Amino acid sequence: MMLDEMQLKKLLRLKRLEQPPPGYFDRALSEFHRRQREELLRRSAIQIWFERFVSRMWGFRVPTYAYGAAFGAFVVAATIIGSGVWAPFTQTVETASDAPKIGPGPAGLELSGNRLALSGNLDWSKFDRSPASPRVVPTLRPSQTALPRYVLDGRPASYEASFSF
Amino acid sequence: MDDQNLPDDETLVRRTQNGDTRAFDLLWQKYSPRIYSLIYNMTANHDDASDLLLEVFAKAYRSINGFRGKSSFYTWIHAIAVNMTINFVKKRGRRFQMSLDDLDANVQNDKEFIDLTSTNTPVREVDLAELQHRLNEAMMKLSVEHRAVVTMFDIQGMPHAEIAKILGIPEATVRSRLFYAHRQLQNYLEEFRKK
Repeated sequence: MMLDEMQLKKLLRLKRLEQPPPGYFDRALSEFHRRQREELLRRSAIQIWFERFVSRMWGFRVPTYAYGAAFGAFVVAATIIGSGVWAPFTQTVETASDAPKIGPGPAGLELSGNRLALSGNLDWSKFDRSPASPRVVPTLRPSQTALPRYVLDGRPASYEASFSF
Repeated sequence: MDDQNLPDDETLVRRTQNGDTRAFDLLWQKYSPRIYSLIYNMTANHDDASDLLLEVFAKAYRSINGFRGKSSFYTWIHAIAVNMTINFVKKRGRRFQMSLDDLDANVQNDKEFIDLTSTNTPVREVDLAELQHRLNEAMMKLSVEHRAVVTMFDIQGMPHAEIAKILGIPEATVRSRLFYAHRQLQNYLEEFRKK
């Protein structure tokens, strides 16, 4: 006959009677006090403070309404900034009107519409320094012997695509 | 002071939080036997149970300022005890010695014991001390999570809902763990009876 559920439960309940000897819990309490005193002496005040701080943090719960309030604040801020009523970064952004004015180019550099065109009688000496860029930058000086070079607006005749199937 | 005359837990906790160490002693008086029983039945060792009991109460004392009363103190301290014991048993692994061999002498007068041994049951056929030893061995074959559920439900008589709160699991899980643990215990004791 197999041990049924009720008999098993009764057997397990007998384990309630497995108790430590009389007076055990009083002695254990004294031991608990002794350990607490020892621990207090051993640990520094900072450690004790930190442990209490951590335990308080574990117990801290963010109230439910705080999430709603935070979302509301985000929506209001996004609306104000997005609509342009308030733009906090206008002073730091360089706009087109604040950009340094570039003076007219050297003689020979003609501006036709929005395109630059080089003409034959270019005065290269004007390229040395420009009032718009006071820093010294390396410049190209024309050779007396070299012919002027032009960039052709097109592919060279020898060009072949590297991938041909 | 008798347990019935003790102030309620909420008052004792508040007093402890305000620095009254005597109030924490009263909480010890109220809960240490139950916590000891819980740890003892999960570890199967008196010495380990004694050490863990002190550690559980030390941890509870250190953390009591963070206790906000969302659950009862009873649930809170049981949760600390179960978690610490589970961690301890998992660390200890197989390296342990059973010391569950000192059944109270009053068991002979216990009504349930008389019921069990007076009728024609399998229990009657075996020596009580040996049966107890086998039961403890069977308990130790369960996983520590299953043992915790059996201890709280069958030995300490807690309801499923309370166990679920302590372990932080659904009630259905508590029931399924109990079902599985009972089946395991029955099988193990059946094997013993056949020998």
